[in-house]
Amino acid sequence: MSQIINTKRGRREQSGPYGKLGHALNELDDRMGVAKGGRTFLDKIFPDHWSFMLGEIALYSFVVLLATGIFLTLYYVPSQDLTTYTGSYLPLYGQKVTEAFASTVNLSFAVRAGLLMRQMHHWSCDIFIGAIVVHMGRVFFTGAFRKPRETNWVIGTTLLILAIVNGFLGYSLPDDLVSGTGIRIAYSIILSIPVVGSYVAFFLFGGNFPGTSILPRFFILHVLIIPLIILSLVGAHMVLLVRQKHTQFPGKGKTENNVVGTPMYPVFMAKTTGFMFVVAGATALLGAFAQINPIWQFGPYTASRISYAVQPDWYMGFLDGALRIFPAWSFHSFGYTIPLEVTIPAVIFPGILFNLVMAWPTIERKFTKDNEMHNLLDRPSNRPKRTSAGVAVAVLCSMLFIASSTDVIANFFHLSLNTVLWSMRILCIVMPVLAYPVTYKICREMQGFAGAGKRKTANIVTRTAEGEYVATPAPAYVDDLVHEHELEAVPVPTYVVDVDDEVSSGEGGVRRVPR
Amino acid sequence: MKTRYRASFVAVVTLVVAGPVLGLAASAFASTNTYTRTPYQTGRANAGTPNSTNVVKNSSGTVVSYGNSAITYTAPSPSLATLGQSLFLENCASCHGTAANGVPANGTSGAFPNLVGLGPATIDFWIESGRMPAADPRAVQANRRVPRLSHSQALAIAAWVNSLSPSYPDIPSPNLASANVSDGAALFALNCAACHTIEGDGDALAAGTFAPSLRNIPAYQVVEAIRTGPGNMPRFTGNLSDFQVADIVKYVTTEIQHPQNPGGFGLGGLGPVAEGFVGLLLGVGLLALVGFWVGERQ
Repeated sequence: MSQIINTKRGRREQSGPYGKLGHALNELDDRMGVAKGGRTFLDKIFPDHWSFMLGEIALYSFVVLLATGIFLTLYYVPSQDLTTYTGSYLPLYGQKVTEAFASTVNLSFAVRAGLLMRQMHHWSCDIFIGAIVVHMGRVFFTGAFRKPRETNWVIGTTLLILAIVNGFLGYSLPDDLVSGTGIRIAYSIILSIPVVGSYVAFFLFGGNFPGTSILPRFFILHVLIIPLIILSLVGAHMVLLVRQKHTQFPGKGKTENNVVGTPMYPVFMAKTTGFMFVVAGATALLGAFAQINPIWQFGPYTASRISYAVQPDWYMGFLDGALRIFPAWSFHSFGYTIPLEVTIPAVIFPGILFNLVMAWPTIERKFTKDNEMHNLLDRPSNRPKRTSAGVAVAVLCSMLFIASSTDVIANFFHLSLNTVLWSMRILCIVMPVLAYPVTYKICREMQGFAGAGKRKTANIVTRTAEGEYVATPAPAYVDDLVHEHELEAVPVPTYVVDVDDEVSSGEGGVRRVPR
Repeated sequence: MKTRYRASFVAVVTLVVAGPVLGLAASAFASTNTYTRTPYQTGRANAGTPNSTNVVKNSSGTVVSYGNSAITYTAPSPSLATLGQSLFLENCASCHGTAANGVPANGTSGAFPNLVGLGPATIDFWIESGRMPAADPRAVQANRRVPRLSHSQALAIAAWVNSLSPSYPDIPSPNLASANVSDGAALFALNCAACHTIEGDGDALAAGTFAPSLRNIPAYQVVEAIRTGPGNMPRFTGNLSDFQVADIVKYVTTEIQHPQNPGGFGLGGLGPVAEGFVGLLLGVGLLALVGFWVGERQ
């Protein structure tokens, strides 16, 4: 006769040492063998550095984008059919607007939390692409794209392009006065593609601009096709990351052949989960307190209307700036118009730029003849030529970005628009050319500077009996004294079994595993 | 037979040669007549000219006020003209000349506009928006500022300049009670947003000129600007009725000047420029700082 233990403790003991969750996981492992993959995942080592968190901002912004985006699709109507607006915003009451515009205004004003969701979605997009760019900068300047990670660099660049494209598509969906102008510009840019431009434009828009099918098509692209591609590429990005393991900055005990850091569980999981909520929370705060894209003020788009001072979202800014400042070179011959004023800045320039970015690992290898595997990161100042080239391109893009608001600058500082335009033309050429040697010089200076890259210690200010103040630097941080302390082995966490003790030593929860 | 042929030939030649001359002379006569009497920009009814629903004339037949239920245009009292002349000589004549014809006093250079025949609303707008007397006569475009002259002084100057060559439009006073803010929004997007921007903040135009902000402009001055077209601005007459102008004015004085800002702080109306800065600095910047706090710094 088995003894029936009907107490709380008894029931708990019956389900094993890890409780009901452990029991369920055991059942799952019996059937699918999740333990092996789960162990690899939970044991994945994350080298710890603050700059490695930048990519996570992008990842978690994408999560916020998906969540808020799904909410928006419940209320948005992807149709260009005309309807009469009869909602609560009086300045639009009775106007003929498209279903797309009416539904966006309605989801902002008539749906509970609709405006918050829409603003969060838009802010999240701005943050998403911003984080991608910053993350990309980190990867570039530290040389993390080098062999064996060129593929992931190309995937990342593709993700950036797709994110920009999808941002533009989403920005266009409300069909307000400002975004309609954006679609108009996009149509003209497509038209300017040599030979096939008009065919491609007519194919994409289902006829001449504006037509009635572009918004439904943009909608499918924006909510289905491109997000799916982004999602799968993000997956590939992550799988490659786990497969190739993280890069790390050089430091004590860190070599090309190991990864030093904290394991996924429990340390990094706590950090990264917390960080996800911080990203979502910051986005929610922006969505709640900072107005973005008040389409009700812009009104519906009709081809006869236009507003001045229209800029695209920031990530399209450098393209808009290039369009604005490019000289009006346009030729008419043999019955054809060759609009170089549009083709060069809006088609050829971004084409060259993104191809250059994608091909950079190959280009650099051609120059350096370096075919080794690299798992240790560079300090940017130790690779002055790469750093200078990257800064020059970043400066060019920043100048073009500033050029996208020539009118705002002219109006704000009471300058002539023509002066601002010509200044930006000159700055766009001069600044990148200046940026290269200046950055190069700074890098060389930093190489020779003892203690560069180390944390500065505080100055200890003491007052002598005579009243004189003397400042002396405090001693260096213990962590920075690389050669004085060797790594000490710490006990392997109890949940880790079958790990060779020789390689699983570390300090403060830091472990090393063979690559 | 031959004589008759000649006679008809001479008659035809005379008609061909003399006809256009006579016609031109007649039209010139007629046009000068029209100019002095009715310098309207439009024949449309209720569009800022005395061709309006409510016209009030005094005993001598001069139009005192005209308009309709949307806007009433009132002429400044001619009795103010004497005061107006002395104010004009004090404040305006150094550039516009003692006869208000744009010929400046000796020792002053530059081309200054002839004010004769511009109508009271034009004079009133430039003075009451503080643009005249000009802070810097050589500036490309005068800035709006605190007016130097009072309302009644502006009216007096307008009365005197108008007495030199009576003209229209008179000084408007809109009645926005029955104006439609929704129609106003649509008309604003169609007619005004191309320069003043859809949020009414104004923006830089070519070569140092700019469309001013509409955030702080009294209703009657909006009407004056629409009807007289100051500076680079087109003069909207025939294509906008007084009722449509009232709609626009209502939209400007309510939604443009006091926008409803659901969804948090309106970011200065600068649009994506401000949004980009907030998104990058506050959004990405703040999160990078959190990452800096969470991650290791060595």
